[in-house]
Amino acid sequence: MSQAVPVPVPVPGVVDVVLVDDHHMFRAGVRASLDERVRVVGEAASVDEAVTVVTGLHPAVVLLDVHLPGGDGGGGAEVLRRCTPLLGTTRFLALSVSDAAEDVVAVIRAGARGYVTKAIQGRELTDAVLRVAADDAVFSPRLAGFVLDAFGTAAGDVAIADDELDRLSAREREVMRLIARGYSYREVASELFISIKTVETHVSAVLRKLQLSSRHELTRWAAARRLL
Amino acid sequence: MSPLDAPATPRPRAPLRRPERGRLVGGVAAGLAAHLGLRSAVPVRIALVALVPFAGTGLALYLFWWVTVPVADAARDAAAGGPPSLLARVAPRLAGAGAVRRWPVGDLLVGGLLVVCAVLLLQMRDGGGMRSTWLLPAMVLVLGLVLAWSQLDAVQRGRSRGGAPSPVLRLLGGVVLAGVGVLLLVGDVSGRGVEPATLVQSVIASVAVLGGVGLVLAPWWLRLVRELGDERAARARESERADIAAHLHDSVLQTLALIRARADDPTEVARMARAQERELREWLYDDRSVPGTSVAAELRAVVAEVEDTRTGPEGGAVAVDTVVVGDREPDAQTAALLQAAREALVNAVVHGRPPVSLYMEVGPRTVEVFVRDRGEGFDLADIPADRFGVRESILGRVRRRGGTATVQSTPGRGTEVHLCVPVDGAVPEAVADHAPEPAPAAAEPAGAPAPAAVPPTVPQRQEAR
Repeated sequence: MSQAVPVPVPVPGVVDVVLVDDHHMFRAGVRASLDERVRVVGEAASVDEAVTVVTGLHPAVVLLDVHLPGGDGGGGAEVLRRCTPLLGTTRFLALSVSDAAEDVVAVIRAGARGYVTKAIQGRELTDAVLRVAADDAVFSPRLAGFVLDAFGTAAGDVAIADDELDRLSAREREVMRLIARGYSYREVASELFISIKTVETHVSAVLRKLQLSSRHELTRWAAARRLL
Repeated sequence: MSPLDAPATPRPRAPLRRPERGRLVGGVAAGLAAHLGLRSAVPVRIALVALVPFAGTGLALYLFWWVTVPVADAARDAAAGGPPSLLARVAPRLAGAGAVRRWPVGDLLVGGLLVVCAVLLLQMRDGGGMRSTWLLPAMVLVLGLVLAWSQLDAVQRGRSRGGAPSPVLRLLGGVVLAGVGVLLLVGDVSGRGVEPATLVQSVIASVAVLGGVGLVLAPWWLRLVRELGDERAARARESERADIAAHLHDSVLQTLALIRARADDPTEVARMARAQERELREWLYDDRSVPGTSVAAELRAVVAEVEDTRTGPEGGAVAVDTVVVGDREPDAQTAALLQAAREALVNAVVHGRPPVSLYMEVGPRTVEVFVRDRGEGFDLADIPADRFGVRESILGRVRRRGGTATVQSTPGRGTEVHLCVPVDGAVPEAVADHAPEPAPAAAEPAGAPAPAAVPPTVPQRQEAR
């Protein structure tokens, strides 16, 4: 509130980022590790503050922690829900220490464009921010593993039609497996003899399925793990 | 006779408890004796029996204590309160094992009284003797109560012993006896014995009344049960939270202290931080599986061991990025796979360059492991034939299980080891070495990226001989 939220003048070629995390030390660390291709224009430490700052600044990308205090206790997913009108112009990248499937799935299904763990290196984080800013999806190996777990890896789980939401296509699954094996998008592209753009298309398609699918394994699997 | 040989230091008096061992009926006399510091319960018993003729004082006292004094082993409590010597802790168990009660005196007593009652009742039916007829029904009633209550006592005592139907039978028997006693008493008060019709009527009436009261009280009872369950669950949660708090204190604070103490050794600090992170993650996010039921958990244990004991080529600790999809129960196939995976992982950590990625996919017919590092890579042909490492411990192990193992090493892009073993029904057909007739390949899953049961001659992959 004390910030008058001065909307920064956009600099061409530099992506504006808002950091949302309740740990001051971690925000400082991220701020220091991002390179000159991005610019941190604002920070927030709670759900309500995040909604205020994001709606005031309209950044290109929001780095969003999954666990946040304040609001109705919904954490990062609540920020996403309350910023739904902005989702067309502002992209959210979830950033968390949590390995818990329900945390990941909750923010992704609320509209985040990707999920990376906090162990990520500075340069990779900047790459991820740029990728999200370009409306592509960012999948960490672990998120790819979650996807494979949720959509199944058996032979019968392959989608036949492209518009099927509840199953992955053979190609999408291949891409997910390679990402889970630690391949970068570039390495996936050269392994499968396709362009990086195609890899990004596949990943975005998987993200969309993850967000929209009503596959019962997905919900059941998330629910089963919430109990633990 | 001086039962109290007063010791020099005044020993704290044992609390009044009914012991589980050495009791005749309810353990009241034995407990009193222990409480008073007597060596034997006999004087107490004699005193109690002697008090009975005085308006039943002895009986009343006995019943009062039986109902109000809790069951416990005073001797054991006293031992636990004293210096915790090994003997004190072991002794009660040894004593308990030895002192098996040979005669269930209480049961025999009740049984004998029941027989006497039955005989008297029969005599009364035949119109013989016994003028003061209220005594007999009262005895039957009391015996029923004793039977039921002693059962309550026993149920409290040995909850773990459950499973036998005898407690329920005894309880039912007690209830029936008490009911019969009440009926006899009522019939007696109303005049001349009990007519069969009256008996049936009164039984129906009492059952109806009991049922009605039960219906009225059922909601309270249900709520009581539910509250009890809630309270138990809350207590379980509370204890889990306390568990986690204790764990945090124990290991995390300790690790932090260690890290501060060894701040000048970056390798060790990184390793400790990583180990602690892994442990904490396991605590917070993993479903702690029962040991021996999860391949994923076993793989994580392997990763933890490698992370803790091996260092990279520059002497730094290496974190392994592990992703597991699916899970199953371990068997001989997966055990071999995990051993091979461990060797591959050690190779990647020690000779490769981080980041090291590990991916395991548990499918319905195969389990696959990919181990990847970003080192220089190596050519398998360069490895001398006498080097046992890669050839035998990784590739051989998996192939002997009917699986496939490929090493793909590209200069500049690191090395990836792919291990795959068949599981369940897929085993026999894959072990082609021993099966003379080649199994039809039609049964193979059509999964596109799985080079699973494809015979070990994949063209574009460099195949290790």
